[in-house]
Amino acid sequence: MSLICVKDLRKVYRVDKERVVALNRINLNVDPGEICCILGTSGSGKSTLLNIMAGLEKPTKGSVTIDGTDVTKLNEKQLAVFRQRNIGFVFQSYNLMPTQTAIENVAMPLMFRGVGRTQRTRDAVEMLRAVKLEKRMMHRPTQMSGGQQQRVGIARAFVAKPKIVFADEPTGNLDTKTTKEVMEIMVGMARTYHETLILVTHDKDIAEYADRIVVIVDGNVVSDQANESIFKESVVPGMGSHMAEGGNGDEKSS
Amino acid sequence: MKLTDMIRMCMSNLLKRKIRTALTVAGVVIGTCAIVTMISLGLGIQASMDSMMQGMGDLTVIQVYNYNATPDSTPLDDTMLESIRAIPEVVAVTPIMNESSSFVIKSGKYEYQGSVMGVDLTALSALGYGMEKGELPGAKVDKTTILVGQEAQYYFVNPKKKNQMWGMQYDANGNPLDPDVDVMNDKLELSIRITDPNNNKKVKPVKLNCIGVMTTDWSKNPSPYGIFMDINYMKELKKEYNKINGVKEDKSKKESYENVVIKVDDINHVAQVEDVIKEYGFSTSSMESIRKPLEEQSATIQMILGGLGAISLLVAALGIINTMTMSIYERTREIGVMKVLGCVIGNIRAMFLIEAAIIGLIGGVIGVILSYGASVLLNSMASNGGGSGGGLSGIFGFGGMGGQVSVIPAWLVLGALLFATVVGLASGLYPANRAVKISALSAIRQE
Repeated sequence: MSLICVKDLRKVYRVDKERVVALNRINLNVDPGEICCILGTSGSGKSTLLNIMAGLEKPTKGSVTIDGTDVTKLNEKQLAVFRQRNIGFVFQSYNLMPTQTAIENVAMPLMFRGVGRTQRTRDAVEMLRAVKLEKRMMHRPTQMSGGQQQRVGIARAFVAKPKIVFADEPTGNLDTKTTKEVMEIMVGMARTYHETLILVTHDKDIAEYADRIVVIVDGNVVSDQANESIFKESVVPGMGSHMAEGGNGDEKSS
Repeated sequence: MKLTDMIRMCMSNLLKRKIRTALTVAGVVIGTCAIVTMISLGLGIQASMDSMMQGMGDLTVIQVYNYNATPDSTPLDDTMLESIRAIPEVVAVTPIMNESSSFVIKSGKYEYQGSVMGVDLTALSALGYGMEKGELPGAKVDKTTILVGQEAQYYFVNPKKKNQMWGMQYDANGNPLDPDVDVMNDKLELSIRITDPNNNKKVKPVKLNCIGVMTTDWSKNPSPYGIFMDINYMKELKKEYNKINGVKEDKSKKESYENVVIKVDDINHVAQVEDVIKEYGFSTSSMESIRKPLEEQSATIQMILGGLGAISLLVAALGIINTMTMSIYERTREIGVMKVLGCVIGNIRAMFLIEAAIIGLIGGVIGVILSYGASVLLNSMASNGGGSGGGLSGIFGFGGMGGQVSVIPAWLVLGALLFATVVGLASGLYPANRAVKISALSAIRQE
C-alpha cells in the first residue's frame, strides 16, 4: 500500500478577479521508503503540491491520504499534531531559531511532542553527530555557514523519526560543493532510517539523487518515472561510508 | 509541549532582546511602584485616622437618649432595655442615672464631692473598662458594691477645712500625693441628704463596699470619673430621699431612663444597631457619625491615589502590548516554522501569554521592591520633617499622628504582584491571538 496517496488534486487561486490554476488534476502515489523528487520550473505548482501534501494549504478539490488519514479533512489543531507525529521538514532558507543553539534547534520537534529535556538532547546530539556537526552543537545559527545550518535543518527534520520528510528546494541557497554534501547527507539519512523523502526542486542535478522523478508542468504531471541514472547508483555506496563515519553503520543501499 | 519548555523558550526570547525587554519591564516597574506607593500613602492616612478615632472614643459604643419623651412615646425602661439587649450584635447594655445631689458619701471627716452614677455594674466588664486596683464585678453584685474612678479618689475633702483643693494633688517635686481616703480600705458611708435644715428626721447611713478603682479613660462614656453604683439600689435610695424630703412623685410619669449606653460587637455593626434603636423612637449618638465621613473621605483619597497609579500601569500595559506585537512581526517566520514543525496553536498562544506575564511579574517584583524602599524613605522623611512643621507629614495632614505616612501590608505586596502579572497577561492576549493566526505557510514562502 502506498504511504502517500494524492487523488484528483486541484488547486485554484483567486488573484483579484482572475482564477489561476496552480494544480490541475494531480494523481500520485508514493511508497514507504521511496525518495521521490518533484521537479518543475518556477510557477509549475510543485510547491503548492508540497504544501497541500504537508497539510499547510487546503486544496480546491481532491484528497491527500497519508498513512490512511485524509489530511485535507483535518483542522488546524489536528494537523499540528499530525505533523508532529508524521512529518519532518527541510526548508530552503533553513529556518532555524536564531535564539537557540544547534542542539536546541534539532531537539525542537521532540520538545513540541513533549519529550523530556534529557532524552531529546541525547537524540539531538546523536543526530548532529550523524550530520557531522559534533563540533558545532552549542553554536547558534548566526555562527554557522549556510551548509552547516542546513545540516542542522536536516538533523531537525529527521530527529523525530517521521514517516515522511518534505524538502522544499533544500539546496536553493547553497553553492555546488555544499549542495553535494547536503544532498548526500539527506538522502543517506532517508535511506538509513527507511524514510520517505519528498524532494521539491527545479534543479535536474538534485533530482538525480531520487529514486523516482515526477515532472510537473503547469499543474499537471507530465512525467513520472524511476530514476535510472548511473549518478544515483554511484552516490549511494559513497553515502553508506559517509553515514558509517557518523556512527550509523546500518548501511542499506538499494 | 511541557510548561517548563515553554517558559524556557520565553526566557530565551526575552533575553535575546535585552534592552527592549528591560524598557518594557521598566514601564511595569514604574506602574507598579506608582500604584503601591499611592495605595500605601492612602493606607497610611487610613491608619492615622483610625488611631486618631481610637483616641477620641470607643468606636463600638452607642449612646441612646430619650430627649423628646412625651407621655405617649415608648418609654426607655427595663422592658425596652431587654429588647435592645436582644439585638444579636449588642454585647452590653447599661442605663445611666445621675442623682449625685441626693446623697452624701462620707469617709470619716472627709466628704465626697464628685458625681455618683447608677449603672448596671455587671455590664461594665463587657463595656471594656480597665481597673487600677481591685477588679470589675462579676455576674452578681451586692447592692452596696461600688466602684471608684481613679480621679474620684481625690474628691474626698474635709468640708471644715478652708481652701481645700479638689482633684489630684502634687508635692513640691511634682509627684502625685496619695489621696486622703483609701477607698479600698477606709470605711465609706452613704446617707440621704436632707434638703431642709429644719427637718429633724434621722437617717441611718449605709456602709458601702468599694471593690475596685477604675482607670481614667476619656474614650469611655460614661468616663470612670465619679463613683459607679448599682442603678436599682440608686432608685431605692431616690425613693427614700423623696419620702424623707417630702417630694411628691409624679405617678402619671412612666419610668424612663434618660441615657443608655450600648456596646456593639463590631465597628461595622454600629450603624445598623443605631438604625434599630432609632426605629424605637430614641436619639442615638456614636463615633460612627464622625467615623463614617472620615472613612469615606479617606476612601476617596485612596481611590484618587490608586487611580493615579493605575494610569501609569495602564501606560505600561500599552508598552507591553506594543513590545509583544512588534516581536510578533519580527518572529512571524519563527512562529510559522514552529507551526510547521508541529507546535500546536495552544502552545503558541500559551508561549506569548507566558512571555507577557513574565514581563508583568518581573516588573511587579522590581516595582514592589522599589516601593518598599520609597516607603521607608517617605516614613523617615515624615518623622524627621514632621517637627519642623513642613515636610511630607504636613502635606498628608495626618502623617504626624500615626508616625507612618506609608504603609505596605502583605496583601498589598501580593496584590501588586498578582495585578502586574494579570496586566501583563491581559496585554499579551491580543498579541498572542495575532501569533496564533499567523499562517504556517508564511514560513515556507521565500523571502
